Amino acid sequence: MNHTRSKHHRILAIAPSTRGLGFAVLEGKANLIDWGVKSADGDKNARSVKSVEGMIAFYQPEVLVMEDHSAKGSRRSPRIRELGQQIIIATSSRNIRAKLFSREQVRKAFFADGQGTKHSLAKLLAERFPKELASRLPRKRRPWDSEAHSMDIFEAVALALVFRRKNEKRATFVSD
Amino acid sequence: MTLPHLPNYLRTHRKQLGLSQDEVAYLLGAVSGAKVSRYERFARGASLETALACEAIFKRQASELFVGLYQKIEKEVAARAKTLALRMDQQKPNPQTSRKRQTLIEIASAGSKQPRS
Repeated sequence: MNHTRSKHHRILAIAPSTRGLGFAVLEGKANLIDWGVKSADGDKNARSVKSVEGMIAFYQPEVLVMEDHSAKGSRRSPRIRELGQQIIIATSSRNIRAKLFSREQVRKAFFADGQGTKHSLAKLLAERFPKELASRLPRKRRPWDSEAHSMDIFEAVALALVFRRKNEKRATFVSD
Repeated sequence: MTLPHLPNYLRTHRKQLGLSQDEVAYLLGAVSGAKVSRYERFARGASLETALACEAIFKRQASELFVGLYQKIEKEVAARAKTLALRMDQQKPNPQTSRKRQTLIEIASAGSKQPRS
């Protein structure tokens, strides 16, 4: 048998950033059912964790996917690393599995040579989900521009898709 | 293990169309987007009028927009159909009751199907 059956029904992907976080909720094979950014000010980590807890309560995902901030070559700030840890603690206390992927794993999943910019990945995703993401695709960042907040959405969607693909591959392998 | 569907997918479809909650509220004939927010958060059930208006706005069947709710109702109907079919078994069979029984069995089996993804 060679059918791909995904074990996980709903995935919540979180992409924390300096301004807050981006999120994506994937359901079924690859239906993007919610996506967006949540801004956080003041105590950014506390507010971000609260947002994530709210989304977990609402969507009741089976898996939470995030970037692996401890991976080799990760240059995330101490605050975001701390936030990652706090989110993992929040998910484990609700019996939700957390899955982490490094930036390199994400790139390899989308580009054969493992080389690609954030913008080219975002473009790919906007083509994959035109109704949902095309309008959120930021223009190509110039060296003097700061990164668009909406780029966090694309990072979250990419993480969710990487998990989905890896999960599908495993399911296919098991059923072969 | 698969989780049940959400009661409705109004937020997904609204965002796909790029409409704000206030704009959808206006299309539904509601005063403000707060009502739409309550539908989207499952804090309020939609009336038949609202469900049909959503169908008109999002160009999707109401059973697709409110899939979780539809599945819940479908299951309840299926359970009642099963009961009714059992009651019919106790009656003397004739062409009319056997046709009804067949219909009820079909309704009952529809409720036990796997959820649509």
